[in-house]
Amino acid sequence: MGRKLLWGAVLCIAAACLVLGPASSFAEEKVYINGIDANFPPFAYVDKNGNPDGFDVKSVDWIAKEMGFKVKHQPMDWAGIIPSLKAKKIDLIASGMSINDERKKQVNFSIPYWTIAQVLVVPEGSSLTIDELLSNGNKVGVQRGTTEAKWIEENLIQKEGRDFSLVHYDSAPLAVMDVVNGRIVAAAMDDAPAKDAMRKEPVKIAGTFGMEEEEFGYAIRKEDVELLNMINEGLKKLMASPYWEELKEQYKP
Amino acid sequence: MTESLIAIYDALPYILKGSAVTVGLVGGAMLLGLILGIFLAVGQVYGSDRIRPVIGLYIWFFRGVPLLVLLFLFYFGLFPLLNINLSAFTVAVMVLGLISAAYQSQILRGAILSLPVGQLKAARAIGMSDRRSIMHIILPQALRLSIPGWSNEYSIVLKDSAVAYALGVMEIMARAHFVASRTYEHLPLYFTAGIIFLTLTYAGTKGLRILEEKVRIPGYSTR
Repeated sequence: MGRKLLWGAVLCIAAACLVLGPASSFAEEKVYINGIDANFPPFAYVDKNGNPDGFDVKSVDWIAKEMGFKVKHQPMDWAGIIPSLKAKKIDLIASGMSINDERKKQVNFSIPYWTIAQVLVVPEGSSLTIDELLSNGNKVGVQRGTTEAKWIEENLIQKEGRDFSLVHYDSAPLAVMDVVNGRIVAAAMDDAPAKDAMRKEPVKIAGTFGMEEEEFGYAIRKEDVELLNMINEGLKKLMASPYWEELKEQYKP
Repeated sequence: MTESLIAIYDALPYILKGSAVTVGLVGGAMLLGLILGIFLAVGQVYGSDRIRPVIGLYIWFFRGVPLLVLLFLFYFGLFPLLNINLSAFTVAVMVLGLISAAYQSQILRGAILSLPVGQLKAARAIGMSDRRSIMHIILPQALRLSIPGWSNEYSIVLKDSAVAYALGVMEIMARAHFVASRTYEHLPLYFTAGIIFLTLTYAGTKGLRILEEKVRIPGYSTR
């Protein structure tokens, strides 16, 4: 009796592992895996049916179709996304990633496809200026592992010695929620998710805070030069096609 | 209110798919913890002086380090260093299982020690070897006595499994968070995640209760 039960349990769990474990590749052709931060609307998120969607997701789908390769989008944690790329768990990161020198040491970037400004999101009724927000010991929210988190820490807090503190969040929307809840006076983020938040929550953009504009690119492993060339070619074609305008219209980044 | 209900209705199938992942995490971890836990418990009770401190060290380590630290240590630290490429799901099962083994071994050790010492003596007296006595006399009784403790452990592992979201495992919590990021309906979505966890806790502990009744030894009732 006990033995039967145990074997039953073993079989059940083995079956579960087979079903849920790493997808075994029966396919002959290579499927590239694009790692996304699904908490980053409008560039990457999951739609109502749980399928990856967003400006970047649809862009990569178009490029894959155009260049004749298969792609799968894999939601994952942003803070660990570059280590995951380097560990070959994913092949590409197309998820609103800012190009900067520090990341360039670790990965190759495609040609830039989007320019983004970093802004402060505040409650709708707030009348504080940027300088007032970043003083008086205020708390300002930011997403962990982002370029703006690093820049604010290094420039505004360490170099300029401004009197405010950073609160780190898992995602931009969670930082927005705490702006709405009044736990922090503002949240620093890219302007696209900020605009997305404005459409859904009682918040507004107070303005920029001195950080230079950045460009988004797709990140690819250093050794995957062929993939980089293929992506770049596809991206150029996409940006020259009418579909590019449709994407902008649809996702309003 | 209607908006909240619509948000839940829309997201439910997607989040429920996550419960399959959660059940896989918990099932795998509990099984790994059980197999390893049996060895640890038997080693601790009957092992030589050389093996006991090693087991003690293992238990001290896995009971003393927070789950999140262990997950990151293994997933981003140890395995990449050794060039082992495992999925986030697999690593989460392993880490949850290694921790659970430490706890389950203590549940089992208590059960083994609660058996009358005459049981082992009697087994030896009819000519059974040490190994056979433990396999056929001690463990069948001790495992039965461990079921109430397991049901506790099951609910702990189940709740801990939500932390695997930090590695990007697509379990219940990760999915609720993704939908909340799109819709900004945080309250209804995390509430839904909570209800699903409650249901899973209830179903599991209930199942173990039934199992306990089924395999009960007369005269050894735990109630």
